[in-house]
Amino acid sequence: MKNNKTSVIGIAITIIVLILVVIISNIGTSQMQSVQTVVSKFFMPFQNGFVYVKNRITGNEQQISDIEILKNENTNLREENTKLKEQVRELEILKSENNTLKEYVNLKNKYTDYSTVPANVIERSYSNYEKIIIINVGTNDGIKENMPVISEQGLVGKVLSVTDKTAKVQTIIDTASTVSATLSTSSESILLKGTISDNKKLRATSIPVETSILQGDEIVTSGFGGIFPKGILIGTISDVVNTKNELDRYANVTPSTDFSKLETVLVITNQ
Amino acid sequence: MKKFKGILIILFLFLVIYFLQVNFFSWFTIRGVMPNTFVILTLFLGLFAGKKIGGVCGVIIGFILDILVGRSFGFTGIFLGLIGLLGEYFDKNFSKDSRVTIILMTVGATIIFEIGMYIANILKFGIEIEVLPFVLMLMVEALYNILLVIILYPGMKKLGYYIENLFKNKKLLTRYF
Repeated sequence: MKNNKTSVIGIAITIIVLILVVIISNIGTSQMQSVQTVVSKFFMPFQNGFVYVKNRITGNEQQISDIEILKNENTNLREENTKLKEQVRELEILKSENNTLKEYVNLKNKYTDYSTVPANVIERSYSNYEKIIIINVGTNDGIKENMPVISEQGLVGKVLSVTDKTAKVQTIIDTASTVSATLSTSSESILLKGTISDNKKLRATSIPVETSILQGDEIVTSGFGGIFPKGILIGTISDVVNTKNELDRYANVTPSTDFSKLETVLVITNQ
Repeated sequence: MKKFKGILIILFLFLVIYFLQVNFFSWFTIRGVMPNTFVILTLFLGLFAGKKIGGVCGVIIGFILDILVGRSFGFTGIFLGLIGLLGEYFDKNFSKDSRVTIILMTVGATIIFEIGMYIANILKFGIEIEVLPFVLMLMVEALYNILLVIILYPGMKKLGYYIENLFKNKKLLTRYF
């Protein structure tokens, strides 16, 4: 009797569950979304954990089986990598040598009238108003004091002192440097000096009153003074500062040589 | 032997600072202005190793710099030597254990050195006097030196006392206590 009762209750529960399943399955998914979210939030971490462990195990199996092949491959790749690195290094050296030689050739072609010695800048002064550079040629290469130094862009300075293998060059932007120059459009001479206010600019002074000077005018060496040959480009006028007294007017000049990037120069050994 | 060790340390410091000043700080500038690490080095030697070592090292360092990259020979040696001598004066009158006093000493040394060098260059080479640009440059340089001292202070202090011990041989005379 008791068993019959239990089986009836069991059947009833089963029927109710089935009815519920049918009802739930007929409800739209949008209405179930909130429930789905809650459930997935609860289960997803576990699910992810299981998937991760499974992937690791299967991956490891594969790794163990492929380990010998990979070892060999790794050794071959390392050898290849070393060879490629060596080749890259050699190419870089060749590229650098090629660039230096190109610069020398360009410089030589530009100043064919002069006998020149190419050099590299190896050091720069530490002071904020002394703009001295050291180059890697000296008396052994025929360099003497007061020889003019030029770059592909224009005038650099003059040799201040020489040792056997190096020379100290006072650049035109040095505050103690004065260069006699002319405007490329006129024959009037002016003076160019280095300044503290801007170590990338020169100051053009002693400009004759009758000389018309404009922004963008090119400045070249005048040849006076006996150090710099005539006609070497120094820079261009960046702005003209007019004063009450016309004799005091001056102009700022941007040197054609970029001294911060200067690496290759030529020393003119004959004039 | 101790003093020889001290001289080797000073030589090593000079080489490191020379390399940094000429190669690194020549492009790592503030508004185009470089710091003057040689002033810091000489002041540091004067402070910790005494006026003899500071003065002599200042003169030697200055002469080497003048020979290597200077416009003329002598001025740098004279003014760095002066900074070395000033180091001991600063040491006697102010505490070198305080970061603030070290900073003030650095500013003072930088100003004395640069003004001295500028006047000497004006007199020798007839450089055009540019007061405002010079003051601006000096301010930036002093500021740059201050920044370096702030960064290097802990190391400077440790090494300084080590050098002081090598040259001054200070010992505690316990019987006086």
